[in-house]
Amino acid sequence: MSEPVVARRPLPADSNRKRSGPAGSVPLKPVSSQRARTRTFTLSAYIVMALVLIVTIYPMLWMVFGALKSLGEFYTNIWGWPHVVYWANLAQAWSQAALGRKFLNSIIVTGGTLLLVIPLCSMAGYSFAKVWYPGRRFLYYFILLGIMIPFGVTAIPTLTVTLQFHLFDTLQGLILVYVAQNISFGTFLMYAFFCSIPDELIEAAQVDGCARFRAFRKIVIPLARPGLATLLIFVGTGIWNEYFMASVLIHQNNLETLPLGLVVFTTQHATDYPELFAALSIVTTPMVVVYLVAQRQFISGLTAGALKG
Amino acid sequence: MVAPALLIYLVFVIYPLIRGAFVSLYQWDGLTPTMTWMGLRNYVDALQDPVFRLALRNTFQYAIGVTIAKNILGLGLALLLNKKLKLRAFFRTAAFLPVMFSFVVVGVLWSWIFNPLFGLADHLLALAGISSPPGWLSDPSIALWSVMWVDVWKWTGFHMVLFLAALQAVPQDLYDAAAVDGAGSWARLWHVTIPSIRPVIALSVLLSLTGAFVANYDVVYVMTGGGPLNSTQVALTYIVQTTFTSDQVGYANAMSMILLVLVAIVGAVQLRLMLGRRNLAHV
Repeated sequence: MSEPVVARRPLPADSNRKRSGPAGSVPLKPVSSQRARTRTFTLSAYIVMALVLIVTIYPMLWMVFGALKSLGEFYTNIWGWPHVVYWANLAQAWSQAALGRKFLNSIIVTGGTLLLVIPLCSMAGYSFAKVWYPGRRFLYYFILLGIMIPFGVTAIPTLTVTLQFHLFDTLQGLILVYVAQNISFGTFLMYAFFCSIPDELIEAAQVDGCARFRAFRKIVIPLARPGLATLLIFVGTGIWNEYFMASVLIHQNNLETLPLGLVVFTTQHATDYPELFAALSIVTTPMVVVYLVAQRQFISGLTAGALKG
Repeated sequence: MVAPALLIYLVFVIYPLIRGAFVSLYQWDGLTPTMTWMGLRNYVDALQDPVFRLALRNTFQYAIGVTIAKNILGLGLALLLNKKLKLRAFFRTAAFLPVMFSFVVVGVLWSWIFNPLFGLADHLLALAGISSPPGWLSDPSIALWSVMWVDVWKWTGFHMVLFLAALQAVPQDLYDAAAVDGAGSWARLWHVTIPSIRPVIALSVLLSLTGAFVANYDVVYVMTGGGPLNSTQVALTYIVQTTFTSDQVGYANAMSMILLVLVAIVGAVQLRLMLGRRNLAHV
């Protein structure tokens, strides 16, 4: 906290005294004690920040350190960075856990889900916000109901349904289930964004001879871009990290997504810890990089998504 | 335009829900075509099943405990940071980082931190002179608290960011007016800050509550698998275990329906709040 700011802003102690005493005669002592209090507050804020940083960041650094230690050093040098950097763990973890295949599966599943969720939810949200037809209100609330359904609860019957459609243990089945489970949230989110676009804009476009779908594509979608970004980040992060449904629906090794593969790998190779640390580091690194590059979008996308849906 | 979304929603959300309710009235192993009618027997059995009751109790303890901790810590940090501090942006970025990770990653990492051989937790205690550390994940009286802590660790930054955004939207005039009236910092907190951000507090509490009721499967499964002695068993882990290890699909579905009703009550409140405040300030 820079001190001039403190001095410029009227402090409660000052204004009290100003009312009772003669104008302008602010006694020195209360101001300096106020300053001292502000300084203590700032100092304690920094101490708490430092503590929280250590608790948050150090475990992740520790994970990377562990990934680069030899097995011997791993058990003797618990806290610090490796004295001898042992890169071989990374290559071993990559091939042992077949991480390449799992990255590919996660990309297919997340990408496939987003490719369906974004247009489906945009269309549904737009029709609820801007198109009139009978039963619209009922359908809106019916789809909204899905926000209340915890998907853990329907996991087992969902498995039965995928069996019926011969989609069990396939990436397509997993994608369709993910899409369905995000319809309610996504539609609600897009509805909220489309509602904020003035009707006049769309009407003007239609008068100019745009067909309804063209109006949607040329006028509405560009205006709803912040909404689409929120949807993309919120759903994308959720699917990339999803474990529960994947563990219920996917049983073949070569179809495992990253979270699923990681659990299988850590339970099967329970002894070579540096290699497990290496696998975990490899899996988390891309996420950290993407987050650091686009942190503003991620923070606002995830919080706005949670507040709205 | 709604049709494609509606179709996929009906097939993979609504139909499984109805089917789950239907199966919950039968005894069924999930594979063979024979299903034996049970009526409400599964429900009666579930409510008398000591493990399920323990799992429900754990679910409530987990949900309520982490909700209180996340929100108090998140709000506390946000209040502390709600002023111009150097490095604040950096801190916000770092504190939010765990939100990006899946519970699988977070759970695996923390079960290593709690590892008695090379884990940080025991070595930290040893530095403080405590030579007999608790069995973080092996002592039935502690294990659930350890798992709950991991949930709090992952999400506190998220709630902090929510509260910080809300705090920054409180108009400075309100504080100035309170200052003119001679309000001290506590009075300002109670009479200006808290009432102004009450809607966000309500949403944040509900979000963590619904989340913790049903999103606890991953972290519990990865860290303890429900053990030791079912001490960390939550409703979802027990339901999945019943389905896959003892083939009692009907029974598992009955338990799912009981959980659904419990969570739906909280969810309904959340939905009402959301509908009431459709256009929350953009964070």
